[in-house]
Amino acid sequence: MMMTEQTPSPNPTEAPIDPQSTHPASPFLRTEAPAPVAFASPPNLVQQVPVYSTWVTYRTQIEFGLAILAYLMVLVGSVVVVQANPEAGWRYYVVVLPMAPAAFVVWLFLRALARLDEMQKRIQMQAFGFALGSTALITFGYGFLEGAGLPHLNWTYVLPLIALLYGIGAAIFTWRYR
Amino acid sequence: MKNRLRVLRAELAWSQAELAAKLGVSRQTVNAIETGKYDPSLPLAFSLARTFKRRIEEIFEAEGSLV
Repeated sequence: MMMTEQTPSPNPTEAPIDPQSTHPASPFLRTEAPAPVAFASPPNLVQQVPVYSTWVTYRTQIEFGLAILAYLMVLVGSVVVVQANPEAGWRYYVVVLPMAPAAFVVWLFLRALARLDEMQKRIQMQAFGFALGSTALITFGYGFLEGAGLPHLNWTYVLPLIALLYGIGAAIFTWRYR
Repeated sequence: MKNRLRVLRAELAWSQAELAAKLGVSRQTVNAIETGKYDPSLPLAFSLARTFKRRIEEIFEAEGSLV
């Protein structure tokens, strides 16, 4: 078997230099900064406002919007399919299908939390504490009331309740740091 | 904790948003630190000091006894 590969030069600085980057007119050529002049122009007093694109500013909202749209599409699809096949043995699998895009929403939520700065994380933590504590009080309280005869409520009410209280908590604690 | 952030920022004519961009935090966080409602973590205090080219003690001052 013949060796066609060339052995690389032991010293990379001895390798031939690309003439494109050594030409005097090359943009890759290093030049010195211009020397300061006697009457320099005044400093630029115009406020340099950083430009933020829609994606940078509303990334979280865009991601959540699309993920929730995907969730609603799968939800409606699964409801339609199960209503058309109420006796099918596979209906249990179809009913829980919307949990896949919902899991994606959870993942996006955790990523959005990780992007926050330290004070925003603190605010979210306090809002979580508020939502957890008040949901516990409300669900326990209603559980006792059910024991006394109030109608039974579906479990799916718990998540909207958490979301609502979390929103209220986030508003309260954001306002506190204003 | 008291701080001289607003004065130092005014000296350089930076807006809260500009300082926030330099620090990599939100403008609300800069505002909360300036108004004394939020005490920054040690890493954030150090990056503040580095941004203003001053020592932390020149920017922040503890209120009352430290012990």
